Amino acid sequence: MILAQAPHGFLSPTGVEIAFLLVGLVTFGAALVSVTTKQLVHAALWLVVTLGGLAVEYLLLTAEFIAWVQVLIYVGSVVVLLLFGLMLTRAPIGRSPDADSANRWAALTVAVAAATALVWVVVDAFRATWIDLDGPAAGSTEATGASLFQNWVLPFEALSVLLLAALVGAIVLSRKAKAERSSPSLNSRDTDESSPSVPDARKNPAEQEGAR
Amino acid sequence: MNDALDVALRLLIVFVVFLTFPLIVGQAEHKVMAHMQGRLGPMYAGGFHGWAQLVADGVKFAQKEDIVPAGADRRIFQLAPAVALLPYLLVLLAIPIGPGEGAVGEVVDAGVFFVLAVMGVGVLGSLMAGWASANKFSLLGGLRTAAQLLAYELPMLLTAASVAMAAGTVSLPGIVDAFEWWWLPWQIVGAIVFFTAGLAELQRPPFDMPVADSEIIFGAYTEYTGLRFALFLLAEYAGIVVLCGLTTVLFLGGWHGPWGADGLGWVWTLLKSAVLAFVVIWLRVTYPRLREDQLQKLSWTLLVPLSLAQIALTGVVKVVIS
Amino acid sequence: MSRPSPDHHSSTTPAGRPRMSIPGSGLAKGLAVTLRTMTRKTVTEQYPDVQPDLAPRTRGVIGLFEENCTVCMLCARECPDWCIYIDSHKETIPAATPGGRERSRNVLDRFAIDFALCMYCGICIEVCPFDALFWSPEFEYAETDIHELTHERDKLREWMWTVPAPPALDPGAEEPKEIAAARKTAEKLAAAQAEQAAQAAEAEQATLDASATEATPAGPDDPQGGEA
Repeated sequence: MILAQAPHGFLSPTGVEIAFLLVGLVTFGAALVSVTTKQLVHAALWLVVTLGGLAVEYLLLTAEFIAWVQVLIYVGSVVVLLLFGLMLTRAPIGRSPDADSANRWAALTVAVAAATALVWVVVDAFRATWIDLDGPAAGSTEATGASLFQNWVLPFEALSVLLLAALVGAIVLSRKAKAERSSPSLNSRDTDESSPSVPDARKNPAEQEGAR
Repeated sequence: MNDALDVALRLLIVFVVFLTFPLIVGQAEHKVMAHMQGRLGPMYAGGFHGWAQLVADGVKFAQKEDIVPAGADRRIFQLAPAVALLPYLLVLLAIPIGPGEGAVGEVVDAGVFFVLAVMGVGVLGSLMAGWASANKFSLLGGLRTAAQLLAYELPMLLTAASVAMAAGTVSLPGIVDAFEWWWLPWQIVGAIVFFTAGLAELQRPPFDMPVADSEIIFGAYTEYTGLRFALFLLAEYAGIVVLCGLTTVLFLGGWHGPWGADGLGWVWTLLKSAVLAFVVIWLRVTYPRLREDQLQKLSWTLLVPLSLAQIALTGVVKVVIS
Repeated sequence: MSRPSPDHHSSTTPAGRPRMSIPGSGLAKGLAVTLRTMTRKTVTEQYPDVQPDLAPRTRGVIGLFEENCTVCMLCARECPDWCIYIDSHKETIPAATPGGRERSRNVLDRFAIDFALCMYCGICIEVCPFDALFWSPEFEYAETDIHELTHERDKLREWMWTVPAPPALDPGAEEPKEIAAARKTAEKLAAAQAEQAAQAAEAEQATLDASATEATPAGPDDPQGGEA
């Protein structure tokens, strides 16, 4: 990151800093609502606001590429997947009190602990480092790519291997479940026997047509 | 002050384009579809060959009562059309139609990612509409929308990434600047996959399973009337404009053409986009709707492998020529 | 058996076309069909602006040629939905000759067809023995009040003037029976007359031949004298 020469104070904030703070507040509020609301789908939609707010924060820090990837992956795909899952299982309109978890306090403890750890690590790592927002963009696609594939190649590759493992695991799980379900039943054997004849019956007229 | 004026002018132009181009595409669809079916299409509104049909439709929609179903989630139901429509307005800002700073609403550094990311958000509108309508057909439509988006976002991204690899930049004007004519055969598979996946993401026939009117009435938009319904329709046509513009910029070389590249480049962009829009309509008229399983199969077993192959090809050629 | 299995055969992908053809040729064929249709003339009738080109036997409306009607009531009785209303009374015609018998005839008072009920089957026209009912191709007689669809005698007569001349017969068709009968009669008559004329001429010739010895021959100047 780029170090600013002049010492910075908190007393005379710039416009970007004010915007950053306000968006941060909105994001924080949306995050709070998304975990406290009693309506399942509303929680997912507040999550959209939260993730979008984060993208705006990235933008304000000139990390344009990260911001769009955030929108693309989280708002565009993860939330859609979440909503898909909700709609597929249960997504009543209105409150769903039975969806409330009993281990509220345990969850709160874990969340606070995780947040403390993250904040502590970040604060410890950057302390008094300031990003110069007026200079060349520190988070442009080029800069991000260069730092990612020069300084952080190993973690990047490790992450991709992790994701690959998860993908393979998901495929194995789904195939195993399918095989177990279909093998003992009689019906499936029936369809297995009959199915080869179906494409034959369909292909014959097609062949004749082709011959014509 | 001059800067502010400049920005305001650009925004105004993009807004006007956003309001008129989808209508032009819609009118073209009316007429082209009619003639492809041996009909004439609208002939009365506006006097000359029904040119004002969509204006008349808009007036009609505006007059209708705005109904929110009793069981619906009111706020989300009312918010959904805006969520579906606004992303396309934002995307239009970033599509360059000519060389130089003057011919693009706003230069975005990571243009490809911006465009695809924001287009993906538009689908959230359909999801919200589908869920908030308190209607089982709407919910089914929303589900199908989500499944379709998840299936087709991947090939779209991969092929866009292939072009970005070829150009060595993710900025849209940068990609067109780097374009050479031989990219056309090089990236043709990617272009077809991108265009097809884009059609599916817009839920245009033959990929209109989420609104399949013979099965689930009108999918997520079943409960909508009046202006909100019109906004959803506008979103669909704005989506066509955006998709055609994007395909032109990414794969067809934007303002490059055999002649008249300087000064008249924007004509080339518009011409290519118009031809693509015609193809969109043509495909709609020609092909029947895909079944849901065929839809998923097409994406996962054909488009994704093809786009991966395209990326591999792009990488190999890129390494060989550099 | 009857359940289609999508795993084996897919008609959607270009690769899933019949094996013998190039992949995607079916898709291209479909595109060609729509494109070809677009370049052709449309079949749309722009009716209010352009009058439709109707077939000669179009069943538009029924016209009544009152003079031919004998109030036989066949049409009203055959009508499947009873949409023909006929009122009449008897009139007595005094004897034409003194001491002769006086005759009675039916006089039509009312003839109405309710086109709100009519199903345009045409049975009344078929069944009329005196050719009093005709199809007319006129079809623009919609009304805002259903009662006005009951067309009375005068209106039915108005329709009569819109009945087109019957279409010409097919040149290869059999001759109509009426014309054939009339022609046969005419031919018979002509033949009889010709025979008569021939006989007359022969007789004249004989007398001429007989008198030729006595007087100057004048026969060749008057060969057609028998036909007058």
